[in-house]
Amino acid sequence: MDDNMIELRNVTKRYGPIVANANVNLSVRRGELMTLLGPSGCGKTTALRCITGQVTPDEGRVFIDGVDVTDVPTHKRELGMVFQNFALFPHMTVYENVEFPLMIRRVPQGQRREMVMDALRLIRMESYAQHYPRQLSGGQQQRVGLARALVYHPKVLLLDEPLSNLDAKLREEMRFEIRDLISRLGITALYVTHDQAEALALSDRVAVMNAGRIEQVGTPDEIYESPRSRFVADFIGLSNFIRGKVLAIERGMAIVAVNHIKLMVPAAEGTQVGQDILVFIRPNDVRLFPVDFAKAENTFEGVVHKLTYLGDTIDYRVIVAEGVQIRVQTDGKVRFNAGEAVKVCLPEARCRVILE
Amino acid sequence: MSHFTNKRQNLITFLLLSPGLAGFFGLFFYPMLVTLFRSLRPEGQTSGWTLGNYAAFLSDPDFRGIIWLTFFLAITSTFLSILLSVPLALLLRRKPVGHRLFRLTILVPITVPGLIGALGLLLFWGSRGWFNLLLLQVFRLKAPLTINYTLTGLVIFYVWHYFSYTAITTLSTLEGLDPAFEEAARVAGATPWQVLRYIVIPLIMPGILSGSVLTFMAAFGAFSIPLITGGNYRPLSVAIYKQIGIFIPARWSAASAMAMIMAALQVVFLIFYMRILRRPMA
Repeated sequence: MDDNMIELRNVTKRYGPIVANANVNLSVRRGELMTLLGPSGCGKTTALRCITGQVTPDEGRVFIDGVDVTDVPTHKRELGMVFQNFALFPHMTVYENVEFPLMIRRVPQGQRREMVMDALRLIRMESYAQHYPRQLSGGQQQRVGLARALVYHPKVLLLDEPLSNLDAKLREEMRFEIRDLISRLGITALYVTHDQAEALALSDRVAVMNAGRIEQVGTPDEIYESPRSRFVADFIGLSNFIRGKVLAIERGMAIVAVNHIKLMVPAAEGTQVGQDILVFIRPNDVRLFPVDFAKAENTFEGVVHKLTYLGDTIDYRVIVAEGVQIRVQTDGKVRFNAGEAVKVCLPEARCRVILE
Repeated sequence: MSHFTNKRQNLITFLLLSPGLAGFFGLFFYPMLVTLFRSLRPEGQTSGWTLGNYAAFLSDPDFRGIIWLTFFLAITSTFLSILLSVPLALLLRRKPVGHRLFRLTILVPITVPGLIGALGLLLFWGSRGWFNLLLLQVFRLKAPLTINYTLTGLVIFYVWHYFSYTAITTLSTLEGLDPAFEEAARVAGATPWQVLRYIVIPLIMPGILSGSVLTFMAAFGAFSIPLITGGNYRPLSVAIYKQIGIFIPARWSAASAMAMIMAALQVVFLIFYMRILRRPMA
């Protein structure tokens, strides 16, 4: 039995010369919340539209619950969807909005009422049943949007940037509410967003998209800790990239020459001696020590070039070897001044090799 | 000081308003008032008061026919305009090949003077016009269809001349409609027909109504089209014109009384329409 609820198989979609989706393969497992993450224009909306049926792929097939739906029209795909701009029907009350999918399906009146009220209770909006969408706040509207998407127990729930029209504080609250609701219902969900924090906080797995391709699929932890490409590393959180050449590989560790310094880095699969690679490390994984600190692994002398006070952290730009600038974020306990000589430590375990 | 500037400001406001006010009173209010007075004078006199002109028209055996015809033409052509405009707008919204030209074409009937349009229509729909040539030559009909000077023909001409208002507002409302509503309905399981019926039509209804009221008002007051192409069918405006255009000496008072009745009917209709529009919808 196929356990993928949604599957895109080799999907390609072109708009004239623009390739919106290039051979995209994506599978969302039953009961999983997957995020499709990428910058605007990366093709995530096209991928979503292939799933809803608003876009027919030029090549490849789309499966929902093991059934090839590539040629099935949108209204027969049994989907629930939440929209960025809520898309509540302005001429209908909250009740009528949530009732709409049931009315279309000719669910008997009595059962219909029960299902609508259940859905409204789920999002704690039952007392707003007779309100019109324009009388609700953004957060309330989006909760109604969720109720409308869930009321007929669809096979999968699609969420298209559902929180990006809300203000920052509400967005964070809603994030947990959506996560909670989806786990409680055990429904399969695909969540499209360009907000990496949202993706990391919400998902079971994240698929990072760029320029029409899926760059990496993995748990939030894998994506954040072990990005496989420069794009993924850069898109999710802050990054240092240090260009170097692999001198040798010993017991899984690559020795990388960067100008006149040498770095020890866990070798990635496929790393070869003599190869030009990028060493990647997050700014908050880099350690700063006073200049008289005893030498440890991957520790180099440098000079603080610039620092920015960010409240809970301090952001340093340290110049190590000529032309190699490293960004460091530390808590404010030990402080260094601009122009001060420091020791910079890049813990081996926190460094990654990225092949280009 | 402030008192002085206040007065000064009032004066400036008044001066700025005065061209508009002069226009309103000179071009609209004054003629209406003259017409009202005229309708209350005995025919051909400049003094004395009478309701005889109204009584004469209201008791005229032709009166009911004229009013009925006027309403029939206006309502039928408005209704047909809506039936024509909605599918047209749905089509043009998809921006098919040549949609720009089509958009311009919609505007032609209101830019062409009624007189020219009317003559053109008579030529096109006449027994030797292109329409009948098409029927005879391509569809092999035995005899030409009579369109000109029939009631059907008059309705067709009205629709041609006045549907633009409805079509333009319907199209612009439809193009202002967020496609997300339709997407949401589709994903929720609605067929294209159901999307149209439950989502699109209700949401563009205000646009359809505001356009169709223009079509209705214009059709109600239509003059050159029925004058030239109406034959024996004479709606109110033509009947009014008959009073001053045929009788010697011209019956200005009778014409004025009819004009006042026409204006009253239009006002009543507008109030009725505003009620519908103001009903809570979206």
